Amino acid sequence: MDLRELLASDQPILLDGAMGTMLQAKGLPTGATPELVALEHPQWLLDIHKAYLDAGSHIVYTNTFGANREKLCHCGATVEEVVHAAVTLAKQAVQGRGLVALDIGPIGQLLQPTGTLEFEEAVEIFAQVVRAGAAAGADLAVIETMTDLQEARAALLAVKENSDLPVMVTMTYEATGRTFLGCRPACAALTLEGMGADAIGINCSLGPREMPPLVEELLAWTTLPLVLKPNAGLPHPDGSGYDITPEEFARSLASCAQLGVQVFGGCCGTTPEYIELLRQALAQTQVKHVVRQVPPAVCSATKVVPIDRVRVIGERINPTGKKRMKEALRHGDVDYMLGQALEQVDAGADILDVNVGLPDIEEGKMMVAAVKAIQGVTDAPLQLDSTDPEVLAKALRIYCGKAIVNSVNGEDATSCRIFPLVKKYGASVVGLTLDERGIPQSAQQRVDIARHILAKAQEYGIQKKNVYIDCLTLTVSAEPTGAVQTLTALKQVKEELGLKTVLGVSNISFGLPARGLVNQNFLTMAMAAGLDLPIINPNLDAMMAAVRCFHLLTTVDKNAVDFIAAYGNATVSTSITSSTSTVISAQSSDIRTLEEAVQAGLKAEAAAATKTLLEQCEPMEIVNEKLIPALDRVGNDFEQNKVFLPQLIQSAGAAQAAFDVIRQHMSGSGQTQVHRGTIVVATVKGDIHDIGKNIVKVLLENYGYTVIDLGRDVDPQKVVEAVRQHQAPLVGLSALMTTTVKSMEETIAQLRNAGLPCKVMVGGAVLTPEYAQQIGADFYAKDAKDSADIAKRVFAQ
Amino acid sequence: MGCPPDQADETLKNTVGQCASLLLKAARPRWAFRAFPISHQEGGIGLSGGLLLPGKDISSHLEGCDQVVLFCATLSAQVDQLIRQAESRDMLQALCLDCCATAAVEQLCDQVEEYIHGQYPNCYFPFRYSPGYGDLPLSVQGSLLSLLDAPRKLGLCSSSSYILTPRKSVTALIGVSSTPVSSSKRSCVSCPAGDHCQYRKAGGHCGSA
Repeated sequence: MDLRELLASDQPILLDGAMGTMLQAKGLPTGATPELVALEHPQWLLDIHKAYLDAGSHIVYTNTFGANREKLCHCGATVEEVVHAAVTLAKQAVQGRGLVALDIGPIGQLLQPTGTLEFEEAVEIFAQVVRAGAAAGADLAVIETMTDLQEARAALLAVKENSDLPVMVTMTYEATGRTFLGCRPACAALTLEGMGADAIGINCSLGPREMPPLVEELLAWTTLPLVLKPNAGLPHPDGSGYDITPEEFARSLASCAQLGVQVFGGCCGTTPEYIELLRQALAQTQVKHVVRQVPPAVCSATKVVPIDRVRVIGERINPTGKKRMKEALRHGDVDYMLGQALEQVDAGADILDVNVGLPDIEEGKMMVAAVKAIQGVTDAPLQLDSTDPEVLAKALRIYCGKAIVNSVNGEDATSCRIFPLVKKYGASVVGLTLDERGIPQSAQQRVDIARHILAKAQEYGIQKKNVYIDCLTLTVSAEPTGAVQTLTALKQVKEELGLKTVLGVSNISFGLPARGLVNQNFLTMAMAAGLDLPIINPNLDAMMAAVRCFHLLTTVDKNAVDFIAAYGNATVSTSITSSTSTVISAQSSDIRTLEEAVQAGLKAEAAAATKTLLEQCEPMEIVNEKLIPALDRVGNDFEQNKVFLPQLIQSAGAAQAAFDVIRQHMSGSGQTQVHRGTIVVATVKGDIHDIGKNIVKVLLENYGYTVIDLGRDVDPQKVVEAVRQHQAPLVGLSALMTTTVKSMEETIAQLRNAGLPCKVMVGGAVLTPEYAQQIGADFYAKDAKDSADIAKRVFAQ
Repeated sequence: MGCPPDQADETLKNTVGQCASLLLKAARPRWAFRAFPISHQEGGIGLSGGLLLPGKDISSHLEGCDQVVLFCATLSAQVDQLIRQAESRDMLQALCLDCCATAAVEQLCDQVEEYIHGQYPNCYFPFRYSPGYGDLPLSVQGSLLSLLDAPRKLGLCSSSSYILTPRKSVTALIGVSSTPVSSSKRSCVSCPAGDHCQYRKAGGHCGSA
């Protein structure tokens, strides 16, 4: 019998208890590597496995919790040796009495963005364990004690891609119902079920008494069998053990069968005695059959967004028709995208669409960078938007959670490349109601395509609730009946097919005046027709207002809580002014000059003053004669300890606001942008302290330099590539730790070896001018101001 | 942030105040400790489990001590995320949050230290000592964390270049002695900031003792 058959039997399944606790009792010294026991004391493991089998365990975990190359690197044994020995011993102990589970614990280093470990490296580390375990004959794999959903995903992918083993995944939660990294059971459930786990659940950290609320949450979000392997209660503060007796553990845990839990075991502090009593308690109970219905939903690692009302998809991260976004994409300026992401979330977007497709950039690479960065700063789930299946594959792989894929259509040739990805990574998918013949005119034809897309998706094993249909908005000025057809189709898809619907709204008004009015009203009509997921610009008040009003009027927003929270103190203007002349506000005497605004660090004033100046002066004149001198004065004051870092940053922020106005003006009038030279900046490999580098970047940008920011923990080769690609005459490198100055040295060496003519400036807490010289840098920048001075010198040459 | 208190204007003080409360809301402070009998050996200090803390400085620091309490503390990954977010919104806020977090993790350590002192009545303690001080290498971080089971119990790990993650985290050692100790106060001489200390550069000191 294998795991899948056991699970299908509906009978309670008994796992084993703690391994570490038992090894300590056998005499494993503090600080020793427990995984080496398989090689050094094989008899201990035989004894422990047998004791659990005698107590009634159906499945025993191999002693391979930390048997990965990162944890074993110092102990003289390979992953293959340790895993092979541990699995072989477990099989020898089992002798047909149960199943052997290859135990896979966390790597012991945090993945990006909190740590520095790359996702693909994590997958490879786990893959090595999986290959060894499968080759040694394990019956299943268990991934346990995970606190980072991304790490659990890496391990699950490794199992799926390197074996046919059934797999259970358990994560460890705090009493708050979240893991250390903030993952909720609901997010784990949606994500791990989507990716093909056979059973999921909870282990370690908490005792059986703390399980029920977490179990309830899992039940609401997964149809998979549930696993509980808690500790023997909570640890005593003095570290002398745990607070629950074997009797209470067994009684309390077995009662969870009444909630619908099927798989039981014990983690830290539990022994064969606990398991024996648990077996007896389970013998007197049945696994309750609970009918579970998981609603349509998407999630990030920390947030679930159920599609149970109108959910707004923010459309701003998309270069179509957006000059500034195109510019950001060409420069790899992920920060600009992050600003857009946060602005939309603040405005009320529930989900963010991410589209980085431009003909002249490497879309896959940019997509991965964007997804990694965006999920590092916001918990909004993402809609991955590309026409290229390879780009989607990369994005889905790195995305942590359950994403939406945008999109497939009725053309089987494209959908057959995308559906397998949607299935593998457990995403939802948007189907556009068009096919090789184009967009059908009639509503009925679009519904037919939707039906076809649904049928195809189901052939690939994608559940109906994960298929969302976009009935396509046509521009009403070109297609007068288009809006009606779209709404009719939407209504039919919703009612006849029972599918969730998506719609890009803004297209409706191209070529019309007062587009905002048309968009807002079309959105309202679409919501009334059953639209679930409008793709809109949430930064426009009118659009979010339409959504909030819709929720208010359809009693989704009970007691008008959300509505009042949003508009309780608002003044709303409903008048429309028809005028062709621009209103110029009279200049009052207390208005500050641009220089004053920059020195005082006032963003709004700086922007306003710049606007006024642009009416009389050339942009470059403003930059060279007002902006830069003002920044210089602040910089000098900073050097003389008259102002300090906070004021310097504020002045840079004000200068930024001024620059934004100038950029907008110049791109509006078709002029070339302000460009004083390109500088590549990076926090070196291994280092993740990047606030210093970011402050330097802000300052440099506001002196008019184009800054290519490679981020933190940057591989030397990446710096070399960027310098070559952008032909940057200056590179700024930052390192905070003595240990990472070595990678700084390495980066400089690689730049020199590549024969690039750039100058290198370095900075960071542990550096000194002497040290900088020693590692081959051209300049030592003691602070942000200093780096701006260095840039000035370099670019003056 | 390098700004003397008397020169901070109201806006800056308010920003710092807001950042402090944002930080307190996001942080999930956690800590763990464990005591080890120690032996003074040729190359450094041996912990009872077998780990050697190498270096002359740690040896002289722990002179007269017969055990050491190892602890680690973290503000949690949520703080890292908060700072990352601020970096995309507003660098001044990011700087304030970063500095508040640095101060907060020090305060957390002060509290842990006080608690540990309370566990050993009538004993004497040299100041708390961390990897990176003197010649105690950062490369012991991983071993110290695993002795505390910190990756599992606190979600606190060391990266391949020995940086603690989450970032606002500390590992430290407190010696315990039954007789008075000489190194009970921290001084600039043994401080890892050494010559790069901005307080020293400005002619003062950080005030920690």
